[in-house]
Amino acid sequence: MEDFLLKLQESDFGVWVSSAPTIFGPDVYPIFLMLHTVGLAMVVGPAWVLDLRLLGYGARLPVETLRSAFRIMWIGFFINASTGIALFISEADDKGLKWIFWVKLVSIAVALVVTSRLRRAVFGGGVAADVAPPRARSLAKASLALWLVAITAGRLMAYIK
Amino acid sequence: MVLHFASWIHNTPISLALQRQVAWLWPFCETVHFAGLALLLGVAGLFDLRLMGFMKRVPISVVKEFMPFALVGFSLNLITGIIFVVSQPAQYFGNPTWWLKVTFLIIAGANALVFETAYGRRAAALPAGEDTPTALKIIAAVSLISWAGVLWAGRMLPFLGAGVGAGL
Repeated sequence: MEDFLLKLQESDFGVWVSSAPTIFGPDVYPIFLMLHTVGLAMVVGPAWVLDLRLLGYGARLPVETLRSAFRIMWIGFFINASTGIALFISEADDKGLKWIFWVKLVSIAVALVVTSRLRRAVFGGGVAADVAPPRARSLAKASLALWLVAITAGRLMAYIK
Repeated sequence: MVLHFASWIHNTPISLALQRQVAWLWPFCETVHFAGLALLLGVAGLFDLRLMGFMKRVPISVVKEFMPFALVGFSLNLITGIIFVVSQPAQYFGNPTWWLKVTFLIIAGANALVFETAYGRRAAALPAGEDTPTALKIIAAVSLISWAGVLWAGRMLPFLGAGVGAGL
């Protein structure tokens, strides 16, 4: 396992991510970190707005209007999966051995399952109902919490050995 | 002058107290800062998209009902941001990227103020289904761009400028 992680990190791509300059000024690495934060806002921001709406906040807003939130979330997720994989490869031998990194990955995986179930429960059958069924409310609570765990674990990756 | 001010802050009792706490306080505040940015940008972004003419069926006043959550996100980030600056003032005051972030923040704030004072009532009175006037679209675009600028400069802080590496 460690051999493999080290090989990843020392691959041409890994070294490129961790040390290549760009014509924009900042290096590749901080640009990827920054894009990872943009993607975070595009995934978690709309997800939390939808969760809050399903829990009854801003109740005059028709839930149906939030259907397009998934498009923004998909773009954000694509940005974060790509930059996340690149950033991981560049530091595989460090991040891959941290338990907190696996907490982050698992919480994201569960959050994705919850989000897809939530989507089916709320938007699966024609126009979305404006009062969320109990099942959708539980999924919304889970989504709120799981994304917070993912953010927390992601941030703590810089601190926990 | 600015660095003089930074070193004065550095020696205030509150800064000294924060510096002693830094082992757990800093990562905690960073985590809150990231969650706050997602909440702020999620809600403000939704509102800006409405001002730009998306989701026309929904009255602007309805979308505005989420704004308290944007304020929660902003307050969390203002408080944690002040904690960062008070505990490590020189790291920020001496970094041009931080001043860029503050500039974007001022633009975002002034823009929001212009919206509230000059267009708030007119926007709220706009009937559902009608396209938003160009002025509102410009305000929304300025808002999106300046918040993106805040995020960009904020994330680049440790890399551009000071070369001080707290919390990469």
